[in-house]
Amino acid sequence: MNGQLRKLAVALMACYLALFVKLNFLQVIDAKELNEEPGNGRSIARDFNRPRGDIESADGELVAHSVETDGRFKYQRQYPTDDLFAHTVGSYSLLFGSDGVERRYNEELSGNTADFRLRGFLDPLVEEPNVGTVRLTLRADVQRVAREALGTRPGSVVALDPRSGGVLAMWSYPSYNPNFTSLNDATSARTFKEAYDKAKDKPLLAKAFRERYFPGSTFKVVTAAAGLESGAVTETTPVFPAVNGYQPPLTNRPIRNFDGATCGGTLFDLLRVSCNAGFAEMGAELVGPEGMIGQAEKFGFNERPPLDLGGVAASVFPTEFGKRLSNGDDPDDAPVFEDTPRLAQSSIGQGDVSATPLQMAMVAAAVGNGGSIMTPHVMSEIRDRNGEVVEPYQPSVWKAPLSEANADILRRGMIEVATSGTARAMGIAGVEVGGKTGTAQLGTDPPRSHAWVIGFAGPPGEQAQVAVAVLVQGQPGASEQTGGKVAAPIAKRVLEAALAPSR
Amino acid sequence: MIAVTPPRSSRRATEAGLLALAGLIIGAAFALVSLGRNQTLPANLVPFSVGVFALFLGAHVGVRKLAPRADPLILPVVVVLNGLGYVFIARLNDKLAAQQAGWTALGVVGFIATLFVIKRVRMLDRVRYTVGLAGVILLILPLLPGIGARINGARIWVRLGVVSFQPGEFAKIALAVFFAAYLVERRELLGTATFKVGPFMTPDPKHLMPVLVAWGFSLVVMMFQRDLGSALLFFVLFLTVLWIATERASYLVVGTTLFGAGAYLSWTLFSHVQDRVSMWLDPWQDSQDKGYQIIQATYAFAWGGIWGTGLGVGLGRRVPIAESDFIFAIIGEELGLVGATAILVLFLVLVGSGLRVAMRSRDPFAKLLAAGLTTLVGVQSFIIMAGVTRLLPLTGLTLPFVSYGGSSLISNWVLAALLVRLSDEVAEREEPSPHDDHTTVIAVTA
Repeated sequence: MNGQLRKLAVALMACYLALFVKLNFLQVIDAKELNEEPGNGRSIARDFNRPRGDIESADGELVAHSVETDGRFKYQRQYPTDDLFAHTVGSYSLLFGSDGVERRYNEELSGNTADFRLRGFLDPLVEEPNVGTVRLTLRADVQRVAREALGTRPGSVVALDPRSGGVLAMWSYPSYNPNFTSLNDATSARTFKEAYDKAKDKPLLAKAFRERYFPGSTFKVVTAAAGLESGAVTETTPVFPAVNGYQPPLTNRPIRNFDGATCGGTLFDLLRVSCNAGFAEMGAELVGPEGMIGQAEKFGFNERPPLDLGGVAASVFPTEFGKRLSNGDDPDDAPVFEDTPRLAQSSIGQGDVSATPLQMAMVAAAVGNGGSIMTPHVMSEIRDRNGEVVEPYQPSVWKAPLSEANADILRRGMIEVATSGTARAMGIAGVEVGGKTGTAQLGTDPPRSHAWVIGFAGPPGEQAQVAVAVLVQGQPGASEQTGGKVAAPIAKRVLEAALAPSR
Repeated sequence: MIAVTPPRSSRRATEAGLLALAGLIIGAAFALVSLGRNQTLPANLVPFSVGVFALFLGAHVGVRKLAPRADPLILPVVVVLNGLGYVFIARLNDKLAAQQAGWTALGVVGFIATLFVIKRVRMLDRVRYTVGLAGVILLILPLLPGIGARINGARIWVRLGVVSFQPGEFAKIALAVFFAAYLVERRELLGTATFKVGPFMTPDPKHLMPVLVAWGFSLVVMMFQRDLGSALLFFVLFLTVLWIATERASYLVVGTTLFGAGAYLSWTLFSHVQDRVSMWLDPWQDSQDKGYQIIQATYAFAWGGIWGTGLGVGLGRRVPIAESDFIFAIIGEELGLVGATAILVLFLVLVGSGLRVAMRSRDPFAKLLAAGLTTLVGVQSFIIMAGVTRLLPLTGLTLPFVSYGGSSLISNWVLAALLVRLSDEVAEREEPSPHDDHTTVIAVTA
């Protein structure tokens, strides 16, 4: 019987060893992941029993703070600006976890960084917990103008400072009120969340950086940049023939201009009227697949922009246009590929191209900023309880898609679009404004389209101070005028607000 | 293996020393919980310490008087587990803690009384059928209308006036005694293969009938009571003792197959069994309801990390009914991997002590009883800890000595007393007592 007892001992040892291994998985190996699970309110519950740092806008408005409650936890998060910053700041909910700045800067807001702990430790006599205050780059005044200008049309507005990459405004309609989803009372919070989940146009979704749309003609800025950077296009050459459509090789389906119009001429001429035929030919035959893919990726396509918020969507440009079939008609032309017709479509922002409003704002920012895109960000600085800045934001270059010379050419081209082209509605007296409209057709029955405009603005002869992208989703009509009529006036108001000194 | 048994005085001194250490750990934990929660020392720290001291001193004196040669590890391990369990219950719920303190006192009384009454384990062998019948009756009690009660889905409670208890906790000891006694009697018969089933030679089924009946009976009762954990525990107990008694591994194979079939059958028949399995595989599919408790336990372990959040500063109340079956999760949260591992080691020490007693016993009944009781503690702890950590599907059982619950605590103290008694008898045989010397002398002169 002792033989069996020994085996029993070994078996029980094995059982306990398995338990020990499982504990290691739970408590060490998978612990971080489990702690960060959205449904796991533990880190939140800990923080709900102590005050959490404030979040404020660049112009000093209180956006989020902790208030005492007499419920299950001592504190609850409140958002005095309601829906205004919801998609950027997120909400800090007992039930649904956190999102946005609340999530990204959680450690700072809850005083959990080594730095904050050390500072708290060094002056133990201060009762107040040492939590950080996050100041945003977003300005409440600009944000309000964006909200008001877009009104109740589903869409997004993104405004950046091209010089630093700081986001000045980022608004999407519809938005949601984080005060409701962050209620400590589970039943109410759940009811609100369910209502938002069911609501039309996904109010909880931060469309400005988490949703992709066909960019339409705003993408022609990228195509133009590709033409300039490849050397195939200059300010004066080539002069595209005036045609009402362009038929790419390998297909008999031409790409037509809007309303069957005839257009051609130099790069600026093409930009001014947003000439489909010219840009399709430029992308498909003068630049070619490699150049177009390369240029789009230099602007940040096919990559998640390093915005300091979670869940940023990468914009998409196709990376494959099939096998090379033959040389082009002219010695200067790019060779013909299997999918050259698709490349022609992509060159005017249709087909398989899609972009977030944030990405399109960065395209405009690159043109306005001498060819480089600064790392986009929403945090400007973090202060401790004594108001001392512990973590200033350090701007850095993310992408450099254009040479300074080419950026200047494109800049002047876009200024022409805003003074005498399709984006005239965004011109501001006494300010140098550049723009490019876009109308991405969604269907013809009834005709609907996304109305776009991107642009930049600054004092005459100086660097641009604001870059903007406006998208109004699913507007009736499908003419190239839609972007200029619908989106450009919104962009104008936002640019004006952003150029005005903040309070 | 040559077992060197230290003299009894030194064994009791070891026990006293370990008990002092246990008291220190419990007292410190009690103070730390309060500091962690309210930043103050507990108001009742002194009476608490005195109470703990008195209680466990009583147990120690009881062992000294009644089982002086007993294994010195069993009591201290039980005391630490009980004490830490109390501290965690106190940390979760003051009212339950007061009750648990009473149960602990009763448990110690039960411990001493058992040592006092059961002077020789042979006594139990003689009353095997009475004990077996008692076990069966205890198991049926909760199903009787009028006194049986269903709490948290399992009908395992008996309510008599103001007192309610879980008779199954006591039934498990009775059945361990019965199995051991019965199988000792029949081990020769059961160990001989005379009956052919297909290609296998097995013992004549008629010798197995009473045991199969007892087993099937307890399983059926458990199914009706919806107490899967106990059913599993009883089954493992039965199979282990049968295997050790007969030394035939074929029983393990047949039994495990039987159990597999039974488990599959109950899985197809009972939705609550299906729930347990699906919540084991993926509790996130119903994270707000059926999977809630197990997910919260998982989060509690993760939150504890290696070193734990510290006593009293975890978020224990997020795990529903944490003071009972899920107390291990709270220990994992507040004491971390280190503390949870310490609990594992404590149970292993207890299991080791029990199995050592079994190995050293020469009397087959004592051997089987020691093995059975050790299996009960070791397997029950494993089943519930494995359930809480999601290593196995969750089946409700208390963590012996640690969880809240009077029936569980008292019965486990009785179980510990039996192990202490068994270990004393083993040592008695190995250590020639003055009385034995005298006998020898007489024999020589005769």
